[in-house]
Amino acid sequence: MAKFTLTANTPLGGFSHDFKGVSISEVNGRSIVSLATPLGGKEAVSKALAKTYKLEIPEPGKSTVSSLDNAVLMGMAQDQTFLVFDHTEDKPIDVVSKHLKDTAFLTDQSDSYVMLRVSGENSRSVLERICPIDLHPSVFPEGSVSRTIMEHLGTVIVHEKANTFLLMSARSSAKSFLEAVEVSALNTV
Amino acid sequence: MNQINRIDGGLINRSNKLNFNFNGQSLEGYEGDTLASALLANGHRMVGRSFKYHRPRGIFSAGSEEPNALVQLRTGAYQEPNTRATVTELFHGLEATSQNHRGSLKYDLMAVNDLFSSFLSAGFYYKTFMWPKAFWEKFYEPVIRAAAGLGRLSGEDDPDIYDKGFLHCDVLVVGAGAAGLSAALSAGRAGARVIVMDEDFCMGGRLNVETLSVDDKSGSEWATQALAELSAMGNVRLMTRTTAYGAYDHGIVGALERVTDHLISSEKKPRQILWRVYTKRTILCAGATERPIAFGNNDRPGVMLAGAVRAYVNRWGALPGKRVAVFTNNDDGWRTATDLAAKGVEITAVIDSRDGQPPVDVPKGAAIVMGGRIVDTKGRHGIRSFTLSNGQQIPADCLAVSGGWSPNVQLTCHQRGRPTWREDIAAFVPGGELPQGMSVAGAASGNLSLSSVLLNGHDIGNSVVSDLGFTPSKVKSSSSEEETTGISAFWHVRESKVRAWLDLQNDVTVKDVKLSHQEGFRSVEHLKRYTTLGMATDQGKTANIPALAVMAECTGKSLPETGTTIFRPPYTPVAIGALAGRARGKDFRPSRLSPSHSWAEEQGAVFVEADMWYRAQWFPRTGETHWRQSVDREVTQTRASVGVCDVTTLGKIDVQGRDAAEFLNKVYANAFAKLPVGKVRYGIMLREDGIMMDDGTSARFAENHFVMTTTTANAVSVFRHMEFCRQCLWPEMDVHLISSTEQYAQFAVAGPNARKLLQKVVDSDHDISNEAFPFMACGEITICGGVPARLFRISFSGELAYEIAVPTRYGDSLVRTLMAAGEEFDVTPYGTESLGVMRIEKGHAAGNELNGQTTARDLGMGRMVSKKKDSIGNTLSERDGLNLENGLSLVGFRPVNRSEELKAGSHFITKGNTANMANDEGWMSSVAFSPNLGHSIGLGFIKRGSERMGEVVLATDPIRGGEMDVEIVSAHFIDPEGERLRG
Amino acid sequence: MIINHPLLGPRDAAEFVYKGDASLINRPDWQADDAAELFHEYLYLRDNPAGEHRELWYHEQGDRSWLIVTRNTLTHDISKVEFARDVALAERSKK
Repeated sequence: MAKFTLTANTPLGGFSHDFKGVSISEVNGRSIVSLATPLGGKEAVSKALAKTYKLEIPEPGKSTVSSLDNAVLMGMAQDQTFLVFDHTEDKPIDVVSKHLKDTAFLTDQSDSYVMLRVSGENSRSVLERICPIDLHPSVFPEGSVSRTIMEHLGTVIVHEKANTFLLMSARSSAKSFLEAVEVSALNTV
Repeated sequence: MNQINRIDGGLINRSNKLNFNFNGQSLEGYEGDTLASALLANGHRMVGRSFKYHRPRGIFSAGSEEPNALVQLRTGAYQEPNTRATVTELFHGLEATSQNHRGSLKYDLMAVNDLFSSFLSAGFYYKTFMWPKAFWEKFYEPVIRAAAGLGRLSGEDDPDIYDKGFLHCDVLVVGAGAAGLSAALSAGRAGARVIVMDEDFCMGGRLNVETLSVDDKSGSEWATQALAELSAMGNVRLMTRTTAYGAYDHGIVGALERVTDHLISSEKKPRQILWRVYTKRTILCAGATERPIAFGNNDRPGVMLAGAVRAYVNRWGALPGKRVAVFTNNDDGWRTATDLAAKGVEITAVIDSRDGQPPVDVPKGAAIVMGGRIVDTKGRHGIRSFTLSNGQQIPADCLAVSGGWSPNVQLTCHQRGRPTWREDIAAFVPGGELPQGMSVAGAASGNLSLSSVLLNGHDIGNSVVSDLGFTPSKVKSSSSEEETTGISAFWHVRESKVRAWLDLQNDVTVKDVKLSHQEGFRSVEHLKRYTTLGMATDQGKTANIPALAVMAECTGKSLPETGTTIFRPPYTPVAIGALAGRARGKDFRPSRLSPSHSWAEEQGAVFVEADMWYRAQWFPRTGETHWRQSVDREVTQTRASVGVCDVTTLGKIDVQGRDAAEFLNKVYANAFAKLPVGKVRYGIMLREDGIMMDDGTSARFAENHFVMTTTTANAVSVFRHMEFCRQCLWPEMDVHLISSTEQYAQFAVAGPNARKLLQKVVDSDHDISNEAFPFMACGEITICGGVPARLFRISFSGELAYEIAVPTRYGDSLVRTLMAAGEEFDVTPYGTESLGVMRIEKGHAAGNELNGQTTARDLGMGRMVSKKKDSIGNTLSERDGLNLENGLSLVGFRPVNRSEELKAGSHFITKGNTANMANDEGWMSSVAFSPNLGHSIGLGFIKRGSERMGEVVLATDPIRGGEMDVEIVSAHFIDPEGERLRG
Repeated sequence: MIINHPLLGPRDAAEFVYKGDASLINRPDWQADDAAELFHEYLYLRDNPAGEHRELWYHEQGDRSWLIVTRNTLTHDISKVEFARDVALAERSKK
């Protein structure tokens, strides 16, 4: 009997390209686990997060960073938080549930998104063509996170650090999404 | 002869000569010219023919209000009609041609229209060409179309690209003239985020065209200095060549930036960008537009707005004429005479409609007529002289006309604003409710002297930023010399016996307005539609107010009583390409690709778009020339052995929470609360009105964890509906939803050898035998040596079947693995067509049956709707109207003559009845050719269908034609007992 | 059009999906004697005010919250935006 093995791929095969003053690159090697806070269970989740990741649950629109697994905790909705962390193996839920026990309902979202990092001095000018929300640091400071729509595609945008933005959009439309961002770069710089 | 009318001065760069071409003639201009200024510098007065009468027309204005000087710009696919020469920035290699003539511009064959002008008056469309009726389409319409109209489209695809974008600011300043720059300086100095937009390529507005000084500098010098200060501020963004064309709800402003229109080639960059501006405050500094006075033959080339004449002289060093006369009703008109005289231009006369003394020093040698009236002009291709009411003839090759200035209130009216009349300046000013966050400064608000404009802009800028919480700077307003701005309203010369034009673009005369009034079209909105006054590219910027004044005169009402027509966006024309942006061709919308897409492409699959998804429709093999061959083979092979189908596109919703089971019990019409862990159940979802919304399965992976599937089409709307139920209807429940459609690659493996195939990839510690993993089982397993997967024993095809899901990253690899593992069973991939054939053979409902009109009862699933619990739609599904005795039911159909092909959409009629609406008993919803039965089969809804097995009815298809006898049979064409799927 | 989300601030209406009258959160009791009548009214009978209107909007391209937006149908002014869930819970506690 033949032995079969499965190999993993990434949404865009590791895309990376530098334009004038802006770089666009696919981010891989990160896992995404959604944490749903049970009704009345916010305190328990907070405690578990504080103990392991040394983080508090961020408000929707904010994110916090932990030194454990370079984890970023993003507030997506009142009862929903995304934990994005270094992890390339299968079953990222096992890692999180080891820390959080059963305080939150977990859903693996690692394969649901394509992640693009847009960085460089022209990143805001490039994103201005597709992102309806205000990315000015006075309005969307570092650490801000938002879900919005770009070129008809739902997109999570994170202001990671100065002139560096992380974009997360649905994996099935990764090529269209990349095209939207790339065309913005081509049209701008 | 080169630039015969070019004189010294102006804001042009004489060291950069630009060659351009007009009507095949090679001409020269300078950097900083517009096409209009360059044409005037070259002595071209006549630049086009009019819309209806094909009368010679010249450049009339110096801005975006231009009604006459519309040209075709560029050639081939890049050709753009109706481009205003007055705002077209000159570039090296520009090519333009005049419009609206057959033959040459000077000897237009269509000029004959002018002789028939009495047939082309207001409303001529509705009068002249009505009889005989049959003539309209074949004769009148094409002839009129050919004769009238403006420029011509290239007929080719637009080769340019367009983009869109989003801007955010505290203060948007629209217009960068004296008011705009003052306001921007105030706002910028206070630290607000400011965007300044101006439609011109050179900011400064009328500061660049007037000789008035500011702070002891020339106006343009002051503007340059202000712009330097603004561009040094990090919080200010200056956008030239950008028109704010519309003011929308809640402070949103639409703007069009012309990025490369001033270049010979856009070099693959977007030609234009359509911006959506989100601003807390807008300061409208759009200035004012001069309007003409109507008098006999006032449309000849050389008759121009007075402010435009001095603009050409002052800003561009281009002389519109060598012997210039002025006709004015206000002091400002005199500036043209004094400015030009100062440059040494001969002023033949100044005619002021007002009585009394000249308001300024009279230019040397000019005849001055106070209380004067011009009744007619002469000159074939341009004015040579004009005649006063007393018969006196005065020579002039340029007649500068000023009827006063109208504030550009357009944007203030785009929501609910209605302008109000100010008698002292004889103009409408912004009034009523302005768009949210908008203030108006400068000439746009009715401040018509430069000193008041500067101060007003400065003050409004300060008050707007302090309103936003910024501290205004203490810098004082700039100031300028005082000027006189007296005016006495005067709209048209009654003594004129010949046609006097109001709207040059639409060829509407004073007589047309009077006729319109006579015929009962007295409201301004009716006047507009009847005469076409104020329509087309200029939207009557120069024409509206004088025409309203004539109408007011007819009705005996005042101008404010008469009112204006409603201004709507856009302020100036916006190309459809700009509104479309990137959304053209394949970029019209994004595409979603399933995990097996690359592999399917390699197999030569034919794809179909299902919403944004691309799904493999069938997989042709070598030798197959017709899709039916491929589909028949895929179905046969699957039913005989095993087939694999990508079902990733079905919606998947992860449902977790302490109340997850109870929640599903409420959103599904059938019972879910007691579904055991490790089991899947088919569920039907109703709308609250009792109609079927969607169907699918839910699998219970843990006490508090379900995975739901929806149809591909309803994935988004079902999720939305469930969020509504969760947040709004049962907020006390602990339940959490998240889509996992994208997370898993899911494949159906169907056919008698499905288990054998899967056993080759499923890790051996997972028993998937029929005993351990029976029909409707589900579980988390591992495959191929530890890869996590979910396995569901469900079947849409009616065969022994599974659906297997792995994290999407493994999807491509999994389909290749399944194909390799299935080789020994002669596995086939199958697409959506075969999926459809097999579900019809099995009698499963799909989108065609769940069409928003049918109930669970219609679908034969009435008994699934529980009466023992509260769930969406259950109460109203019991309505009498949905439970009629002769209600529809879903049944199968086959043609009596088996060789005939059923048609979806055909309607059923009892044999012997006439085929009409009254006798309609239902419709065929889905059909397929069943390779297993060897004939066409169908599913359809027919009244009391379940009681009519074996009856033959007529299936009629009046739209496509044809009818045939069909027999009502069970919808389960194959394996009605379900032995296969349980095997 | 801009909706001022209670947590996320001003957002373009393009991110939202409209549903209808906010009274849709008050679903009738299925066990009431006149349940059919109540559901009929709930589903089909609506006020059509010229003025203030409370309506449901879903922040589909945002935090997926259902909001109750109080909008003046004459002026388009939005005077209030609340989480529908909070309103639904508050109404429950009133009962």
